[in-house]
Amino acid sequence: MSLDNLLGNWSQYRKAHEDGGFHDYEHRWGMAIDLDICTGCNACSTACYAENNLAVVGKERFEKGQAMHWLRVERYWDQSELDHPEQGASFLPMMCQQCDAATCEPVCPVAATYHTPDGLNAQVYNRCIGSRYCSNNCPFRVRYFNFYSYYESSWPEPLNMQLNPDITVRDKGVMEKCTFCVQRLRSAKDKAKMENRKVEDGDVTTACAQACPTNAIVFGDWQDENSQVAKLWKKHQVTRAVTKQKKDNPEKRGYRIFEELNVDPSTMYLERVREKI
Amino acid sequence: MSGSIDRRSFLKILGWGGVGTALSGCDLPSTVTLEEGKEEVVSYLMPEEYVIPGVGVWYASTCTQCNAGCGAHGRVREGRVLKLEGNPESSINNGNLCMMGQAGVQGHYNPDRIRSPMMREAGKLVPVTWEKAMAAVNAKVSAAKGDQVAWFTGSLSGHQATLVANHLDALGSKNHYVHETINNAVWQSVCKDTLGEANPRLRIDKAQMVLSFGADFLGTWVSPVHFSGEYAKFRKQKRRGVLVQIEPKMSLTGANADLWLPSVPGSEGVIALGIANILVKSYSKDISQFPSGVQDLVKKYDAATVTKITGIDEKRLKRIAELLSQRSPSLVLAGAPVEGHANGYNAVAAVMLLNQLLGNIGRTIESAGEFPFEQMQGVAGGTGDLFKFIQAAKNNQLAVAFFHGANPKYAAPAAMGYDSALNNVPFKVAIAQFLDETTAAADVVLPLSSFLEDWGTHVAAYQPVQTVIGIQQPLMEKLYADTRGLGDILVELLKAVNEREYSGFADYYAYLRQAHAAMPSQAKGSGTDEQTWNTALQKGVINITPGAKQIASSAVNFEDPAAEGDAGASTLYLAPSARLGLWDGRHANLPWLQEAPDQISKLVWDSWAEIHPSTAAKLGIKQGSIVNVKSEHGAVKVKAILLKSIHPNVIAIPLGQGHETYGRYAKDRGVNPLKILNPTKEEKTGELAMYATRVSVANTNQSEVVVKMGSSDTQAGRRLVVTMPVEQYQRSEGT
Repeated sequence: MSLDNLLGNWSQYRKAHEDGGFHDYEHRWGMAIDLDICTGCNACSTACYAENNLAVVGKERFEKGQAMHWLRVERYWDQSELDHPEQGASFLPMMCQQCDAATCEPVCPVAATYHTPDGLNAQVYNRCIGSRYCSNNCPFRVRYFNFYSYYESSWPEPLNMQLNPDITVRDKGVMEKCTFCVQRLRSAKDKAKMENRKVEDGDVTTACAQACPTNAIVFGDWQDENSQVAKLWKKHQVTRAVTKQKKDNPEKRGYRIFEELNVDPSTMYLERVREKI
Repeated sequence: MSGSIDRRSFLKILGWGGVGTALSGCDLPSTVTLEEGKEEVVSYLMPEEYVIPGVGVWYASTCTQCNAGCGAHGRVREGRVLKLEGNPESSINNGNLCMMGQAGVQGHYNPDRIRSPMMREAGKLVPVTWEKAMAAVNAKVSAAKGDQVAWFTGSLSGHQATLVANHLDALGSKNHYVHETINNAVWQSVCKDTLGEANPRLRIDKAQMVLSFGADFLGTWVSPVHFSGEYAKFRKQKRRGVLVQIEPKMSLTGANADLWLPSVPGSEGVIALGIANILVKSYSKDISQFPSGVQDLVKKYDAATVTKITGIDEKRLKRIAELLSQRSPSLVLAGAPVEGHANGYNAVAAVMLLNQLLGNIGRTIESAGEFPFEQMQGVAGGTGDLFKFIQAAKNNQLAVAFFHGANPKYAAPAAMGYDSALNNVPFKVAIAQFLDETTAAADVVLPLSSFLEDWGTHVAAYQPVQTVIGIQQPLMEKLYADTRGLGDILVELLKAVNEREYSGFADYYAYLRQAHAAMPSQAKGSGTDEQTWNTALQKGVINITPGAKQIASSAVNFEDPAAEGDAGASTLYLAPSARLGLWDGRHANLPWLQEAPDQISKLVWDSWAEIHPSTAAKLGIKQGSIVNVKSEHGAVKVKAILLKSIHPNVIAIPLGQGHETYGRYAKDRGVNPLKILNPTKEEKTGELAMYATRVSVANTNQSEVVVKMGSSDTQAGRRLVVTMPVEQYQRSEGT
């Protein structure tokens, strides 16, 4: 393929949306995060540590960028021209966006990261060989590599008794990331199956959404049109499989970060609002 | 209630129904995996009583990580508590839980817990038996004159407070010193004088506008999880609520404001009077019912004068006054930077004047009503008792002091002379989970069970919706057999001084059951004692509708709130700022909270000094420079962080680090700014004036790497956090 060919026929090559691995999704777990009521308090992030057996790495390794915070709250200053940030800070809870056309997936040499029928971007820990290609390819920088074995340093006895037995503690050489609390999803699905019904909206939520003091995080099955998350996406005129949202009303607050990269994230953010005084 | 039934049996009798049955009575963990290869492996075919392997059940309890009294749910599996969530039954936190609550399990499973009683022998604390420790304590208590016995605690409520009060009563002592570094004692005092009650309900959700002078209600003020919930409603009103925050150093609340303005600590009262002046002059707010002294003050501080004193632009003041008059009802709050001066009371009173002028009393400031059980309400702490305790010790008035839930040795500014005063207290008993500074200086250490292993009742001082009695129940067996709950220790102490009344109680649980049985049925609901008790345990709360009460609004006099003169060029104001996370230092031993980045600076595992880039440039300070911050009473060396979210005349050092002891995660990490504070008192309330210290700052020409989350402080043109002007928002989502 010559460059001329590529440039000349770009629109044919660049599809609106990469075909995902599945077309008959059981669920498509999704999220909506309202940045106007997110206060940046860190409750979500700490809840994630508690739920998902995240290692505490300590100051020296944090400095090297080896922290394992699957969900981190970023803080930006927007008014750099002013003497003071008069409109406060811009907080952004950032975790794996569970992209439908995830850039991390195709580069894995051993298919340790793949797409599930639930619309999740899954990581198979015991298949991972630690090439770190996925992390390198992630535009959100939300994949975390175990450079060390943290079991002893992070959970000296009896702290290890707090570990969530529903999921593993990852060892050296393995990539890990936000799973949308897949262990909670699993048990909700099992429970629904035992009761011979479908998973309903409200049956399950992620640790971050549950902790959030302002309920800024909404989680659910995007495919279930009665779910709160699907309604929010619809209300804010955000849809999937596009690189640019077509909105009748451009004043609707919904947007997806880096959707122009054609990764099709499963998390919608709602714009922060400020009143100029 | 008899003590002869073993624990497992009575749990069974209680049948803690609902989601599951009782706690396991197992040795931990009972169902270990083969991989771990330790203890005996229990067959899944023969489950422990009440333990279904692999099934987690939830039990209600109360979070004690701060004093807000949030309801908690603990997930228990195989006899271990694994995760805490908010309890949806609690009207304080409505099912949500902050980062400190989440980290509660790390205090419980902390590797540095004290595991046995200790006594000082030949200058060193050595392990002893409970019998020996208690015998020593009881001997010293009975040898002392009653009023020579003191309790020094953090805020206490419920039956724990009742028992401490009863212990002192039995001895004929009134020496209960209650300490909280992070408090709102001056605000409470002003509320009491003007509104007739110390903790009226503050309805952020009903306000159209909130003007907050340093009250960090989303982070560290009063009841942060509750206020966060109200804040979400405040923002989602048909007309989005507007938040203006004025404070020396940006707090978490300030970071969420529509307008954040920096102030010099101590100038906030003047700013409030300036706004009052404009409201009276331009928006015909009625000031005639206020004392002439107050009227004169309002007249004195016209906009131009205020601008000259505070540096806040006149236009800004006028705009804030205009907004306040338009967006009604509003709510005006004052926090630690306003309270923390010799005349902090006056400044807070000036802020309260705004609420009165704007007609907020009765609209966004409501009466919390009459709570029928005054004894349960307990005691909310401040810093004033620290002065009183030190004075009593200096005067040789104390023979025995009990310490629990407070760390005065860490919290007292060096200039207060705590250490030398303590030498005059011959016998010090610490009831503690960890060997913090205060505990390490004790003569007897009684190891405390964690809040997840203990019984208790909690009535927070601030009650936002109704009065909630939070029930604390053990979520699992004790990790260490030799630790005891506070209540159990108190019952035992009481038996020694008042055998007649307390010998009937086998332990604290027996006491609590009797207390519950004796509770009026209109308060606990109908049913047998067993039924109402079980309901209380299942729900984790007993809700009491307090007696209706009209809120008062009296026009009280107050003096000029202006702080003493300008700091001058060579000195800066020191802001010992509070962090949601490490709090007053009590959570510095929880690794999740050490590794969680500070919300504003994003630093981890460290102390730092926040300084404005323009000030830093003048002093030749760069990001990471080690600076010497020197007050009249001491100095700390700490790395500088350049941030614009601070007033140029202020240097902020967050609270929480600088522990000399307190376990592996806290020890020898960072600095404690409390140590270098001036021991100035707020004149009216006797509180420590936390924001009244000036410091000189010098570069040491050394520097250190700054360890923080995120390499970029700006979005660099990326659409990460997109901001929409409120006008658009009103069109698309408002009305």
